Amino acid sequence: MSNKAKILVVDDSIAIVNSLRSILGISGYDVDTAYSGSDALRKIHMKEYDLVICDIEMPGLSGLEFLGKVREDFERDLDVILMTGYLEHDYFIEAIRLGASDFIRKPIDTKQIVSSIRELIFRKRNRDDKTEFFGHLNKANFCFEMPAKNFSKVALSKIFSSYMRQYFKVGSKVLNELLICVDEMVYNAFIHGTLNLSLDERALSHEALQELIELRLQDPNINQRKVKFAFVVDNLQQNIEISVEDEGDGFEYQNWLKSVKKGQFLEIDGHGRGIAMLYHLSDKLSFGKQGKSVRIVKSLVSSESSNA
Amino acid sequence: MQNKLDKLNKNYKNAHYRINPKENTMTIDLTFNDNIASMKIDGILNSENAHILQEKLGEVMQSNATLLELDLLDCRNISSTGIGKILLFYKDFISKGGEIEVVRSSNSVYELFSMLKLNQLFTVNLG
Repeated sequence: MSNKAKILVVDDSIAIVNSLRSILGISGYDVDTAYSGSDALRKIHMKEYDLVICDIEMPGLSGLEFLGKVREDFERDLDVILMTGYLEHDYFIEAIRLGASDFIRKPIDTKQIVSSIRELIFRKRNRDDKTEFFGHLNKANFCFEMPAKNFSKVALSKIFSSYMRQYFKVGSKVLNELLICVDEMVYNAFIHGTLNLSLDERALSHEALQELIELRLQDPNINQRKVKFAFVVDNLQQNIEISVEDEGDGFEYQNWLKSVKKGQFLEIDGHGRGIAMLYHLSDKLSFGKQGKSVRIVKSLVSSESSNA
Repeated sequence: MQNKLDKLNKNYKNAHYRINPKENTMTIDLTFNDNIASMKIDGILNSENAHILQEKLGEVMQSNATLLELDLLDCRNISSTGIGKILLFYKDFISKGGEIEVVRSSNSVYELFSMLKLNQLFTVNLG
């Protein structure tokens, strides 16, 4: 595998893209290109890049909007250098606020941009040392326990995503599928297992549902319940095991499992779609403790489902 | 020059409005043209942000739209909560003579809709 840093250049000007591709190619970088913010977003979710260089003024998704989306999806894990012909103070401040890694003025000063890239790639390689450490382990085990009252204060799938992006090399498709699995498992453990909300209650408007959740959490029996979330990355098996456990009443999972195995998924008013999705997106799905715990295993190499 | 700055200013305001680190990684753009509502969903639609979809679908229901075109090309995946919102909307929308069509979808969403047999309820196009 090439050790060259991979850079994505984004500009609606073909001339600028070609010019940068040439400059960066000569400087020893592996360069890919996109001609709009939307194309660039698609690419960064399909492939892994070390750095993105993006124009601010583009039709459609602007450079600032692109940067905002990168920070939402990748937090600080992906460096973005912004380019502009105008160094307006407000935009400069906004770019910094949104987390631009550097700011380059057009026409591009070759020495300046190469120097900036070198510095950012150097810092990224240092960050990657942590990933390398986890890559040398047989297994890495993470376990979290959270009281119900704090549950709505934390986006667990976001935390999980951050861990996976920082410490493990996982393809975007696999990670997206894992995020959906985590969402299904954790949401059900809270809404169904911990709070015991009915299907009708779950269909309430957002505000009404939030009020109901607050009300349920005032019940000391519910308030003291905990949700356990754990995942084990197995480098030898190249898979991940995720488990979630709640302290609710559990449920009759056997019939649901039979239904999803028969492919009986669709009932507009019904439920069980979450189980169907876990079954579809993982390689192994199992329940325990009378339905109070759920566990999936999924390959980190391929997203092909081999559930039996 | 002024036009360029106006455009930049618009983009800047949009970016400023949309960025909230505590918000989820999903955005919905909804536009109306005569009787057609066009909805573009970007990112991952999950239990933490499905209420935003619910609100947008509510807007469609309140409008005169008879066709909802869903662009899911940049939607990377949808949880069962998001699917549930779409199905509940579908039931009410067809009862008032409306139709849904997924005009574009990502591979993941296309696979998901096929697996859940949603393509039996409305047209789902890939790519």
